[in-house]
Amino acid sequence: MEFAQMPKCWRKQTKPHKFCPGCGHGLVLKALGMAIDELDIQKRVVFGCDIGCSLLAWDFFDVDTVQTHHGRTTPVITGIKRARPELIGIAYMGDGGGYAIGSQHLVNAAARNERITAILVNNTNYGMTGGQMAPTTLPNQKTETSPYGRDVEEMGYPTQGPEMVAAITREGAYVARGTVARFKQLQGYLKKALENQINGSGFSFVEVLSGCPTNWRTNAKETWEFIEKDMAKYFQVGELKGSGGKEG
Amino acid sequence: MATKDELVYAGEKGRFTLYTGLCKGCGLCIEKCPTGVLDWNDVLGVYGTPSVLPVAKGKVCTGCGICQQLCPDCAIKVERTRAG
Ligand SMILES: Cc1ncc(C[n+]2csc(CCOP(=O)(O)OP(=O)(O)O)c2C)c(N)n1
Ligand code: SF4
Ligand code: SF4
Ligand code: SF4
Repeated sequence: MEFAQMPKCWRKQTKPHKFCPGCGHGLVLKALGMAIDELDIQKRVVFGCDIGCSLLAWDFFDVDTVQTHHGRTTPVITGIKRARPELIGIAYMGDGGGYAIGSQHLVNAAARNERITAILVNNTNYGMTGGQMAPTTLPNQKTETSPYGRDVEEMGYPTQGPEMVAAITREGAYVARGTVARFKQLQGYLKKALENQINGSGFSFVEVLSGCPTNWRTNAKETWEFIEKDMAKYFQVGELKGSGGKEG
Repeated sequence: MATKDELVYAGEKGRFTLYTGLCKGCGLCIEKCPTGVLDWNDVLGVYGTPSVLPVAKGKVCTGCGICQQLCPDCAIKVERTRAG
């Protein structure tokens, strides 16, 4: 069957995909698929997914794919890229994997200016394991492990990932924060993050504000509101580095 | 692999196709349709939830394609009818 509305590089045989109804991962991977199609790089892409819901993408694309442990997607893709520089390496992970359990890998790859593209899906919780508090859980947000809301005095403030990566990378890096609520903009950021790797300029990082309606226990209206209002208020959407200055 | 079942709604401005084998009934598209024409219907999607069609009374589908863009499962295809 044709499915002309799907990105060309999506593996049609594995659709419907394994993500929950309304899950933001589907939208991020759609924007990524369209960026891959636009650049016509499907044959050169190696896709790495993490532990967490991102691993549900292990058969998502018609490209070579590897699945690793928390945050280790970044060094595994780095290794592949170093061995085969002509390939285009994409490390795809969640906020728990990238900012907590395996955060050292993101920090060191960014500091070393590895020529890979890292994409981190921020859904303010540990999705796969049932919605525990993550580094990105918002102040006062209730989760399974912060039932009275995240108290920043006790539990600290949410991680500002792109801000951190922008601060520790060199010129030539590309850093942005997109949102599934602005699909075209997100597609543009992901395309730039891939082009930056193709040009050999440096580390490329895109965080994406994304929905987890299953663990948030939100209906469609509340899901969009949480992404567009609550999350976007704390996590500013825009380009932080590598596009000739800041952009909203 | 999704089933081939398609629901088609041919409006004046556009042709809307819903693939029931892909629709998970999340409702994200309904919330984002600018004219409010998208509504639930009785044909079930892949998880046994209602699927969607642009049939709300008194509303019109403009063929804008926003629902196609924001469906995480690519269950919607919108083809704009050429003007003129
Ligand atoms: C070493 C280790 N600790 C804990 C787990 C359990 N575990 C599996 S997925 C996950 C959380 C992933 O959350 P996140 O990275 O935010 O991704 P999401 O599921 O939200 O997309 C955890 C803690 C594990 N598999 N291995
Ligand atoms: S648990 Fe959340 S992040 Fe995981 S697939 Fe479901 S909606 Fe998506
Ligand atoms: S966004 Fe897609 S999956 Fe969700 S209800 Fe609409 S058509 Fe179905
Ligand atoms: S094409 Fe536009 S107007 Fe028509 S149903 Fe989709 S979002 Fe609504």
